[in-house]
Amino acid sequence: MTDLPVLDIDEVRGVMEDYFERGWTDGLPVMPVTETSLDEFLATTPRAPDEVVLAMPHLNRECTVRTAAINAAMAGCRPEYFPVVLAAWAAFAAEGYVPRAIWQSTTGTAPMLLVNGPIRSGIGLNSKGNVFGSGFRANATIGRAIRLTAINAFGLRPHELDQATQGNPAKYTACIAENEEESPWPPFHVEHGFDRETSTVTAMTMRSVVHIEARHTTVPEQLALDLTDTIRRTGALIHETISACIALGPEHAQLFAASGWTKDELRRFVYEHAFNRREALAAVGKDAVSGKTRWRLSSQHPDSVPDSTGGAEEVRVLGSEQAVQIVVVGAQNAGVSAVIETFGPRGGAPSIVPVESPRSA
Amino acid sequence: MLERAGVPAVSICTDAFLVPARAMADVYGVPDFQFVVIPHPIASLSPTQIEANVSPVIADVVRILTGT
Repeated sequence: MTDLPVLDIDEVRGVMEDYFERGWTDGLPVMPVTETSLDEFLATTPRAPDEVVLAMPHLNRECTVRTAAINAAMAGCRPEYFPVVLAAWAAFAAEGYVPRAIWQSTTGTAPMLLVNGPIRSGIGLNSKGNVFGSGFRANATIGRAIRLTAINAFGLRPHELDQATQGNPAKYTACIAENEEESPWPPFHVEHGFDRETSTVTAMTMRSVVHIEARHTTVPEQLALDLTDTIRRTGALIHETISACIALGPEHAQLFAASGWTKDELRRFVYEHAFNRREALAAVGKDAVSGKTRWRLSSQHPDSVPDSTGGAEEVRVLGSEQAVQIVVVGAQNAGVSAVIETFGPRGGAPSIVPVESPRSA
Repeated sequence: MLERAGVPAVSICTDAFLVPARAMADVYGVPDFQFVVIPHPIASLSPTQIEANVSPVIADVVRILTGT
């Protein structure tokens, strides 16, 4: 017993309850912050505390380095995680959909972060078993720092400015790291032009993580079609096209690589096969688009116009090969993968930002 | 935005968005902003159903537009 820290529980609970009463929470207890603990976070970045990391002009609100640090501390981050949090904000600013209110939308998207490079092991980010799940402080608190900031700095509280119809569980926290060590391909950030020794954060806006169970096959085409079937599902189609990030388990990635498939070949296969037959779209009332919004609706609807395919029988859901990204995460223990259904840019390069070292100061 | 540009305008939202609409009015510093509320939903309704929901609020739209 003598090794245990001594504290006044009434004082601790009083502070916790005060944070709850002020609404500074995602529903879970938050870590109290003092000027002294805040300084430890600010010391990890060369940036000035007043520098704006992300602005939402339509709300006339912005988040500074200092506000981001307060919320990272409240989320339970260690100070050395803060450069990753700042890179995440830069990536969201560059991605473009967050400053334009996507987190307020009824769709109910969540911030999703992907971390690459040496900082993964440096701060203990999990890239292996249970990568989308709980149990790792760096993953849990870095993802939570983003969401707490959305609530506290931008006021995106549910039932108020956050209009999500249902939201999704990732709105508590969503930060994964790539399992570069067990991937047969170059890491995600290297594929996009960064040095292997650089650490990066990729920001995504995601609707859901859909599980793919495929322990039955060693045929790459079969596995690729199983993945593709999930990507093209009609329920995902509000617009004509969608975007996705395939989160391959190492076993599946190695199956493709052993058959000689590169990431680009997998991407091309998925692009070419991710289509719905017009009859299947008609069956769910999504075989045309609105002339006003371009959202999918029935060809029987008075506002409907034909979609962009020119009446093709096979209707692709991906606008380009670049609308599907591929990353390797999880344990090397079963044929399990996932499709991260992303929302926002449907094609083009992902939003990747290098993690700034404190030594750049 | 239109009104700031000198064009009379009225916002119409469904009752499902009443709370966020008031929150946005607060953000813009006009907590007593007047707008018209109709029943939710819109997107899945027929033209006849839309008309039935809109007809009762036409007078409110005119009242806000003309400031009477």
